[in-house]
Amino acid sequence: MMNQQRREFIKKTAFGVLAGFGAASGLVPAFSLEKTILPVWDETPVSGKIRWGMLIDTRKCKKDCQICVTACHHEHNVPHFKTRKDEIKWIWKNSYKNIFPTATDQFVTSDVLNRSFLALCNHCVDAPCTRACPTEATFKRWDGIVAMDYHRCIGCRFCMAACPYGSRSFNWQDPRTAIHDPSLAYPTRQQGVVEKCNFCSDRLVRGLQPACLEACPEQVFTFGDLNDPQSDIRMLLETTVTMQRKPELGTKPSVFYII
Amino acid sequence: MKNSKLFWTITIFSFVLFGLFNLFRQGEAETPKVPAPPQVAIDSTKCIAPADSMRANHMQVLYKWRNSSVRTGHRVHVAANGSRFEKSLNTCLGCHDNKLFCFNCHMYANVKPKCWNCHLSPMETP
Repeated sequence: MMNQQRREFIKKTAFGVLAGFGAASGLVPAFSLEKTILPVWDETPVSGKIRWGMLIDTRKCKKDCQICVTACHHEHNVPHFKTRKDEIKWIWKNSYKNIFPTATDQFVTSDVLNRSFLALCNHCVDAPCTRACPTEATFKRWDGIVAMDYHRCIGCRFCMAACPYGSRSFNWQDPRTAIHDPSLAYPTRQQGVVEKCNFCSDRLVRGLQPACLEACPEQVFTFGDLNDPQSDIRMLLETTVTMQRKPELGTKPSVFYII
Repeated sequence: MKNSKLFWTITIFSFVLFGLFNLFRQGEAETPKVPAPPQVAIDSTKCIAPADSMRANHMQVLYKWRNSSVRTGHRVHVAANGSRFEKSLNTCLGCHDNKLFCFNCHMYANVKPKCWNCHLSPMETP
C-alpha cells in the first residue's frame, strides 16, 4: 500500500518536472504565458538544399549497449510490445549477417561477425516506400528526410512491403497501452498506422541533433548535411571507407557505416 | 562541530569545482552541427482571427497548418493583422488554457475529431 502511493507520487513528480522542462524549452507553452519569442523557421525551406545523413562507426559501438535505442524510443513514445508481431522499432541492433545480408566479402573477421550493428530508416534518396504509398503519407521532405505524415496513413502497409531494410513497423494495437514512460516531446501514434524513424525532424526544427546521437556515450554517430562538403560527416566519408545497406538496390541510403 | 566543519568544507569545495568545470565548458563552445532556428516574436496574447470566424473555420485553419508545417516545412502563420504564430496545437492551447476548451463544444455538437488519438490532449497534460 505504502509502496503503491510512493510509486504514484514519483510518477506525478516526474511528470511535473517533465512539463516544466517542456515549458522551459518552449515545447509545451507555459500556460498563461503572454508574449514569447520562440525559435521558429520563418520561411519555407528550399527543397534539396540540405540532405541530412548519418554515419555510424560500428567499431566504437558496444555490443550489448542499448542506450541510443532506449533514448530514441522514449523520446518518440515508441511502444514496447513483447510479441514479435506487434514489435515497433525505430532504431534497433542486429548482427552483421542480418544487417548486411548481401555484402559480398567472403571471409569476414570474427570481430565483425561478433559486433552488433545499428539499423534505422536509411532515408534513401530514391525511397521505395514513398513510391509505394498510395496516399503520399510517406514522402521525401525538403531536407532529404523520408517523413511519415501520420494524419494521412491509411495503414495499407505497402510501404512495409516496399522497404528493403525492414525499417517500418505497423501498429496492430493501440500503442498507448504499451508506452510505460511517456514523453511530452512527441505525440504518440494510433492503431492502424505505420511508423518509423523520422531522423529526429522534431528535434532538428529546434536546432538539436538526433536523440540517439545525443544519448550515445561512445560517439558512434556523426550527423550532418551530406550536401555540405565541409560538414563533419562529409569529411569522414572523404577519409574513411564506408558501407551502406544493400547499395545494389540503388536506393542511395543516407545512413553510412564504418566497419 | 567537527562534522559540520567537514560538511561546509566539502560543500564549498564542490561549488568551486562546479564553477571551474562550467568555466572550462564555456571555453570549448563548438559551432552548432544543426542550424538553430532564428528567433521569431510570437505574440500569443492576440487571436489569429476573430472568434466568430474561428468558431466556424478552426478546422480548416488546423488542416492548413498541419499540411503546411508537416509537408512543406513552413511553420509560421501570419495573421491578417500581421502578428505571427507558430503552426502548432500548442499555440492554440497555450492561450486557450482551459482544459475543457475543445471538449465543451465538441461534446455538445457530438463532433469527434481524431486529434487526441496521437497528440496529447489538454486533459492528459499536467
